[in-house]
Amino acid sequence: MNTDIHRLLDEAFAGVDMTPDAQELKEEVRANLVARVAELEASGIPPAVAAQTAITELGDVRALLGEAADAAAPHAPASPWSQEAFARHRVRPKPAFVVRIVVYSVVLVAAFGLAALGALGLLPLGVGAELTLLGLGSTAVGLLVGDSLSQETTTNHPLPIGRASGFALATFMGAYGLGFGGLAAAGAMDLWGVVLAALGVVASIVLFSFLAATQTNRKKAWVRQSIAGTPPNRFEEDPETAARFGIYTAVIFIITFAAIAVLVFTVGWLWGLLALVGGFAVMLLVLARMLFGPRKPSS
Amino acid sequence: MTQDDAFAADLLRGHTDTIVLSVLRRGERYGFEIYKTIRDATGGDHEIKEATLYATYRRLEKDGLVESYWGDETQGGRRKYYRITDAGRSVYRSNVAAWVATRRIIDSLLDVKEQQ
Repeated sequence: MNTDIHRLLDEAFAGVDMTPDAQELKEEVRANLVARVAELEASGIPPAVAAQTAITELGDVRALLGEAADAAAPHAPASPWSQEAFARHRVRPKPAFVVRIVVYSVVLVAAFGLAALGALGLLPLGVGAELTLLGLGSTAVGLLVGDSLSQETTTNHPLPIGRASGFALATFMGAYGLGFGGLAAAGAMDLWGVVLAALGVVASIVLFSFLAATQTNRKKAWVRQSIAGTPPNRFEEDPETAARFGIYTAVIFIITFAAIAVLVFTVGWLWGLLALVGGFAVMLLVLARMLFGPRKPSS
Repeated sequence: MTQDDAFAADLLRGHTDTIVLSVLRRGERYGFEIYKTIRDATGGDHEIKEATLYATYRRLEKDGLVESYWGDETQGGRRKYYRITDAGRSVYRSNVAAWVATRRIIDSLLDVKEQQ
């Protein structure tokens, strides 16, 4: 059952004097809207769009009340940016978030800075200490990303904690992987570091791709309304394609990882990068094909 | 919208009351059914707006040409059904007679040939 229509109806009647007459009209309109939305949905229009379309077709409810309400409606027309809407939709700044972000950033800069000095031989650090510093720095980047994404902004609702954590984990693995790669490049680590680096980076790319492909744009209501007027993204209108893209991506990067491992142990570790670049290019090609490829004839 | 469509819509709107009475003669309906009947008859274009229809129901009811009652739907809000009254039927008949007479005069003044 589409509940959007009840919310939109309330919004349409906001600021209207609720005389018995207006109340009765509202109930009459409600049943008609429900019927119209059901008709739109039956023709294959998504529920949210159907509700929006039905309410738009209705027009201004003040006009419906007509002569009867002219005398009873001394209120100024409620603009969408009225005080009430402002109070309802305002996003309050969160000082705790600012403090956390500053702490993460300090840890991040300090840890990566020290690790870089160690890798370049300017600080006497063992491999263990290096790895600890990198882990610390990567954790800070991950937390920075995850915490920021789970904040509500003026245009976006907060990301759910699970999804924000996913992005945090992907960032952490990517950063740690790159750190291993950096250590190996600086000569501070053996060849097996490259394998771990590739593992981290590949896992991070796979996780990022998965999260991005399954991401729904839960923006604020008014952003969704304006987006409703623009043509939909291929992945949104065709979840099958999104799922297929996810599987292709996983396969591409499993093969990439195998290729990196083989190249590192046969030709030399720098060649491993080539496989990574290749895997990335193939993924982008698949993405382009999935998003803009010829459409299946709709059944 | 072409000039022709605009003209036709204008003409149609002038007869909204009679059209609604005519729809209700076929049986009791609620708002969306009436709207749908008119929309389907006009080929899907919204020649008569919903807002106009709500004003029409209100006026017809005030004049005693239709009466309304609430349905007993349990889901999605109760429907307000309209039923034509005897006064409504008589107004409908006289409006139709007036339309037929007017159409004949206009056809002859505009020199419209029968297309049959």
